[in-house]
Amino acid sequence: MTAYVLRRIFGAAWVLVGVAVVVFFIVHLTGDPAAIMLPPEATQADIAAFRHAEGFDRPLYEQFAKFAGQAIRGDFGDSLRHNTPAMGLALERLPATLELGFAAMFIAVLVAVPAGIVSAVKPNTPFDFAVRLFALLGQSGPTYWIGLMLILVFGVWLGWFPVSGIGGLSHLVLPALTLGLFSMAKLMRLTRGALLDVLHSDFLRTALAKGVGSWRLIGHHAMRNAWLPIITQIGVELGTLLSGALITETIFAWPGIGRLAIQAIYDRDFPVVEVVVLLAATIFVILNVIVDLMYAALDPRIRYD
Amino acid sequence: MKNRSIALLILGGFALALASPPAPTRAADPGTVVVSQGVDIDTLSPIRTTITPTFNVLGNMYDYLVNFTNDGKPVPNLALSWKRVSNTVVEYKLRPNVKFWNGDPFTSADVKFTVEKIKDPNYKSVQGTYVSEIERVETPDPLTVRFIVKRASVLLPFQRQRPYIVDSKFWQEHGDAYMETHAMGTGPFILKAWKKDEQVEMDANPNYFGGAPKVQHLIYRPIPDAAARVAALKTGETDLITNVPPQYAISIEGSRTTRMASARSNRQLFIAFNTLKPGPQQNKLFREACNYAVDVPAIVKNVMGGRGYELQSPIPYGFFGFDPKFKGYHYDVAKAKELLAKAGYPDGKGLDVVLNTPAGRYNRDKEVAEAVAGYLNAAGIKTTVRPWEWTNYSNMINRREEQPLYLLGWGGLPQFDPDPIFTPLFSSEGGIATWWTPEVDKQLADARYEFDASKRRGMYQKIANEVDDAAPWIFLFQFEDLYGASRRLVWTPRADEAIYGIEMSLKQ
Repeated sequence: MTAYVLRRIFGAAWVLVGVAVVVFFIVHLTGDPAAIMLPPEATQADIAAFRHAEGFDRPLYEQFAKFAGQAIRGDFGDSLRHNTPAMGLALERLPATLELGFAAMFIAVLVAVPAGIVSAVKPNTPFDFAVRLFALLGQSGPTYWIGLMLILVFGVWLGWFPVSGIGGLSHLVLPALTLGLFSMAKLMRLTRGALLDVLHSDFLRTALAKGVGSWRLIGHHAMRNAWLPIITQIGVELGTLLSGALITETIFAWPGIGRLAIQAIYDRDFPVVEVVVLLAATIFVILNVIVDLMYAALDPRIRYD
Repeated sequence: MKNRSIALLILGGFALALASPPAPTRAADPGTVVVSQGVDIDTLSPIRTTITPTFNVLGNMYDYLVNFTNDGKPVPNLALSWKRVSNTVVEYKLRPNVKFWNGDPFTSADVKFTVEKIKDPNYKSVQGTYVSEIERVETPDPLTVRFIVKRASVLLPFQRQRPYIVDSKFWQEHGDAYMETHAMGTGPFILKAWKKDEQVEMDANPNYFGGAPKVQHLIYRPIPDAAARVAALKTGETDLITNVPPQYAISIEGSRTTRMASARSNRQLFIAFNTLKPGPQQNKLFREACNYAVDVPAIVKNVMGGRGYELQSPIPYGFFGFDPKFKGYHYDVAKAKELLAKAGYPDGKGLDVVLNTPAGRYNRDKEVAEAVAGYLNAAGIKTTVRPWEWTNYSNMINRREEQPLYLLGWGGLPQFDPDPIFTPLFSSEGGIATWWTPEVDKQLADARYEFDASKRRGMYQKIANEVDDAAPWIFLFQFEDLYGASRRLVWTPRADEAIYGIEMSLKQ
């Protein structure tokens, strides 16, 4: 088990290095921030001086060597836009992203799993059709549109919730719902499908024949087997939610790393883009390892020795 | 055990959500005004940035030496008077008894420090252009500043471009890095807190030299999405929003609690020809034909919802040298076709041009470009619109690589002088000009240093004539800046796009 975890962590480190290299070259190949940082009336000489001062006139491999050298020591450089350490900027915004991501997942799981179970147990009933329709809409509705509709209905018309910014729990409701809807739809379908598969298996028929009560049958016998794909999906979804929700954070003016990333990309703020992507990748990798470990806990057939 | 770990994970998230701080102040609080622009500030250092929304926030905390009225007249602020001592020496007399928030007196040393800090290569300010004409600063006494310039131009130093003045003592005590996230100004509002991407909070400065502001608390809370900004205005979460897309104007105006506010911006929109690159755009007849081919009033009416003013001359309305009688191009397809034939492109034969445009930088920019392309196509000039993301676009503009046609806006000029339009855009000196002639170059240089106002006016009108005749642009229109405001807010927009809390008050 320990050996397995160590192996995964070692593997994860290589993933992060790969991500860092790819992001560095992609972002640098799209041009530098001179045009956006200098005033429009800046002369060609001003621009050349800026490029020289920031080292953008050096060959790309040289810039990369400098970046890599510093990054190994944990120094990802200062944001070009904010002139403060890039890592600090990203870490400052991480709590907001985590808050939103966990809340979205909480709402998603809270609704999706029970709805999926009921819909699997009573397939082809009106409730099941409603769940399937909702799942279809939830997965195909663009986040941007859903967010604005929620703002319009619950913010502007009904006045129940504030429509922008971070604050108390009331500020969290609309963005978390917007963000959670997609995962909710996905998990609903998955729960329904996974449970339906299990419900048709032989051991359940045996249990039923033994006289196990129907809800205990579902909870104790069927769900234990259905959890595996659901947990995997929750892990993957959580990884996505926690690595910054670009659109949701932008619509709801939520101060998370997704919004930071977008602004940094627009500004060609290389260090910040680099840090945000690395941070997101790290979260993703960690969650993946956790999910894999949970397999072992959930399914006695899986052992990581 | 298994279900418990999931439950723990979920509960952990929920606990995190509950632990969030209490709701921020609502705009509806008496005495509090909330302003929402599209982006947050990038820094609290007023001498390291060139971003307009940042200046709109920092302008409440810091002061200029000289302010401009809404029609471009310089008025005293931190400086009470100014004069030319000689051809290369300009003297400012400073306002006495002005204090920074912490009580530090404002003196000539602060002005000198500000200029030198911007010029300091280690500080990496991007405002170098603002002070490049200043060779050095002398401080004969605490209330006198002398700028020694390379050559005296009509626009004085600190009036062509205006750096905010910082507290030299405080700055030196705390260092450059500290000043990125802290402020110490003379301005009407005192910084309370800046939470990045959340809000900048300020309290009124009761000791402001210009009189205490009428608004007690001023908050700038960025909302990136335009539709979400409109929603926040309607729910009363914010009092003032910028860059309202024209299609929302009716719903904002029609509400009991909100209203539209607008100002004729001095930002003009045009489509420039890159004459530095080979192609039909090097032919003056082709450029003229393009101007006759486009129905600008129709574009203003249908694309901008009437929120714009057709541009007649390269000197926009209100600027020094503006001539209301000047008539530029008008919509005349027959004439366009005739000119095309004369240029060697009968019925547009052989023409296939690209019209580059930023998408999302200016109100309805891409839509305007599409409408222009529609007119050009109708006149036989095969045109394709190519939209760009702004950073890539401005990089191209800086390298003068955009071709053959590109859409651009130019404005935010408080002093209403044509030089900051003409020199960057129509002279070989300009960083981004893609058309100039040696004659116009020389006339521009002369006009910049001509102190006789009526003579100078004549010079610019002559230049405007020559530019109009050469048609380096398809002249489009001047914007109307669109703001949405709550009805309780008393505030009038400015032509230079600035937003100052000192100019606001609230209805009781």
